[in-house]
Amino acid sequence: MYQGRGDKLEILKVNSLRKYFPVKKGLTTKTMLVRAVDGVDFSVDEDKIFALVGESGCGKSTVARLVLGLIPPTSGEVLFQGMNVFGLNNNAMKSFRKSVQIIFQDPFASLNPRKSIMDTVSEPLKIHRIIEKSRIKETVVELLGRVGLGPDLLHRYPHELSGGQRQRICIARALAVSPKVIVADEPLSALDVSVQAQIINLLQELKREYRLSFLFISHDLKVVHYFSDTIAVMYLGKIVEHAQTEELFREPFHPYTEVLLSSAPVIPTSGFMHYESRITRITSRIVQGEIPSPIDIPPGCPFHPRCPKRFEPCDKIVPELREAKGRLVACHLY
Amino acid sequence: MSLLEVRNLDISFRSTKNSIKVVSGVSFTIEEGEVFGLVGESGCGKTLTALSIMGILPQNAFAEGEIIFKGRNLLSLDKESMRKLRGKELSMIFQEPMTSLNPVLTVGYQVAEVLTTHKGLSRKEAMSETIELFKAVRIPSPEIRVREYPHQMSGGMRQRVMIAMAIACKPSLVIADEPTTALDVTIQAQIIELLQRLKEVMKMAVLLITHDLGIVAENAKTVAIMYAGRLMELVDVHTLFHNPKHPYTMGLLESLPKEKGIPLKPIPGFVPEPYRLPPGCKFSDRCRFVIHECKEREPELIQTPNSELQTPNSLHLVRCIRAEEISWKS
Repeated sequence: MYQGRGDKLEILKVNSLRKYFPVKKGLTTKTMLVRAVDGVDFSVDEDKIFALVGESGCGKSTVARLVLGLIPPTSGEVLFQGMNVFGLNNNAMKSFRKSVQIIFQDPFASLNPRKSIMDTVSEPLKIHRIIEKSRIKETVVELLGRVGLGPDLLHRYPHELSGGQRQRICIARALAVSPKVIVADEPLSALDVSVQAQIINLLQELKREYRLSFLFISHDLKVVHYFSDTIAVMYLGKIVEHAQTEELFREPFHPYTEVLLSSAPVIPTSGFMHYESRITRITSRIVQGEIPSPIDIPPGCPFHPRCPKRFEPCDKIVPELREAKGRLVACHLY
Repeated sequence: MSLLEVRNLDISFRSTKNSIKVVSGVSFTIEEGEVFGLVGESGCGKTLTALSIMGILPQNAFAEGEIIFKGRNLLSLDKESMRKLRGKELSMIFQEPMTSLNPVLTVGYQVAEVLTTHKGLSRKEAMSETIELFKAVRIPSPEIRVREYPHQMSGGMRQRVMIAMAIACKPSLVIADEPTTALDVTIQAQIIELLQRLKEVMKMAVLLITHDLGIVAENAKTVAIMYAGRLMELVDVHTLFHNPKHPYTMGLLESLPKEKGIPLKPIPGFVPEPYRLPPGCKFSDRCRFVIHECKEREPELIQTPNSELQTPNSLHLVRCIRAEEISWKS
C-alpha cells in the first residue's frame, strides 16, 4: 500500500465517487452530462489535513458537497467512520452532520444577514440539543473567545463585521457542535493577505486543540503547501496526482501538477531579481490553452491537449491512477 | 518629463453632512514604459486612485490635487477633452471582464467601437483591425471570435478582449486593476505573460494594481504600498522584498506562508473604516513597533537614508517615524 494510508485511522473515505449533472444545451431536447466528479477515491486520516487542489470547474466543490451528504452521488460512496453517508436514516444523518461541519468561501453569503451573531452561533447548539438552554449564552461567548472575538459582538449583525470577523463567526458556528471533521471550501480566498494569515493560524490552533481532521479545498498552492499533510490534485473531475505534501512540492510527477506549481508567481527570498530573468521565468512557465468544459472532456488523458509532455497513447487511453514511487499518479509517463 | 505625475491627490465621498476623505495626499510618478505596482488590501483606495486618473469616479466622489499626464492636469480638463483622451492615450483593464463588457453587443463590435471613435476608422476597417488585435492578444480563430458575445467566452478569453480594447489605440498608459484576480493560476500566468509582451512591443507604461505581492515581484519596477488611503512606502521592487522599511509592508510579507512549520506572523486587528481611522499614523493601532509619538502626529512620506542594498540616490520613501531604527529579517 502506498504511504498515505496504512496505520493511520481513516475517518472519512471516498470510494469511486461520481457525480454527473444533466444539462440541456440550447433549444434542443438533447441532454448532456457534466461529469463534475468522475471516479474519485481518497481518504482523510484522523488528525490530518487532506487538501484537494485544482482550478475552477475541476469538481473540488462538488466533492465537498458530496462528502457532506448535501447532494446524492451518481455512484460511489462516502464512508464516515466506516458507515456509508448515503444510507443513513434521519437520526444517524443528524449525528453525522454534527460530526462533519463546513466552512465556506464567502463568509458574507454563508451568514444569515437577519440573524445576530448570538442567534447564528447558538442555532447549532439548539438544533442538536448540546447543552441546557440556560448555558447557551455562556457557551456562545466561550466559542467566540476561542476564535478570537469578544463578547461585544454578540448582538451585532454580519454587515457590521469585517470579512475576517465574519469568517471567524463561521468557524465558531462550525465548532459549536464539536465536529470531528471540518470541510473547508476555499476558506481564505475572500480574505485579505494580512487576515488570511490570522485565519490560517487560528485553524492550526483549533486543529491541535480539538484534534480536528480537515478536508481543505483550495486553489492557493502557497497556503496548501504550508497547511496540508496530503494533497490530491484534481483536473476535470479526476484526481491526477495524490501524494504527501512535501513530496509533491519537492518534485511534482504529473505534468499538470508541474504546470500548476510553476504558474504561481514566486516571491524572491534571496538574490537580485534581474528584469530579464523575471521575463524568462514568466515565459517559460506558461501552458497554452484553457481548461476544457466538463461537458466536453477530451478523450484519453483529459490534460493531453494542454500537456507539454504528451506522447503516443495520451489522446487515446485514459491513464489510471497508479502507484509510482510511493504516490499515486494518473499519467502514461509513470 | 514623467509620463504621469500624481501630486497630493485627495479623494472624498460627499455625504449628507460632511464629506469623508478616503484617499489622502497620494503622490507618485510613472515614467514612460515603466510598470508601476500599486499594492494594498481591499478598501485601501487603490481602485479609486485609478478611477480618478481615468476621470470615472463615482458620482458622489470627487478628487482634489493634480494628476499631470503628458503635461496636462487631468483634474482640470473639461469632460469632452477627457473623453478624447480616455481609451486613446489612457486606458484601463478591470478585474471582472464579464461585468465590464456589454452583454448584448458582440465582443468584436465593442473593440471596433474604440477604433471608430478615436481613430475615425470606418466600420469595415475597424473590424479588420479588431481581428488583428485579437491575434495580438492570442485569441484563437479571431475571425470567428469577433462575432461572439461575452457569455460565449471563458474568463481568460474575455480578459483578452478587454486587453485588446485597452491597447486598440496604442495608449501610453494602461491601468490594469487586478487584471488576473478572477482567473485561475494557469490562465493568470498566460495573461501576465501577454501583458508583459505587449508592454515591450508597444512601449506602454502600466499602472498595475493588485493585492498579490507575487505578481508585483515578477512584473513591477517600482512599487507603492497603500494603506487606509495613504501611500506608506514607495520603492523599487528589489528593495521592497529585501529591505522594507514600513511596518505595514513587513507585516504583509510576514503574512505570506513560507516554510512549513514556521508560524505565520499576521498583522493583528483589521483595516479600519475610513471614518474610524486612528489619530496620528493610520497604521498605529495595528503596528508592533508603535510608540507614543506615532499616535500624536501623522508622519510624512519621506526619503530614508540609503541602506546597503540600494544604489546611491535611489528613491525609497517611507511614512514612518521609526523607519531608520527598525529593521527586518526575512
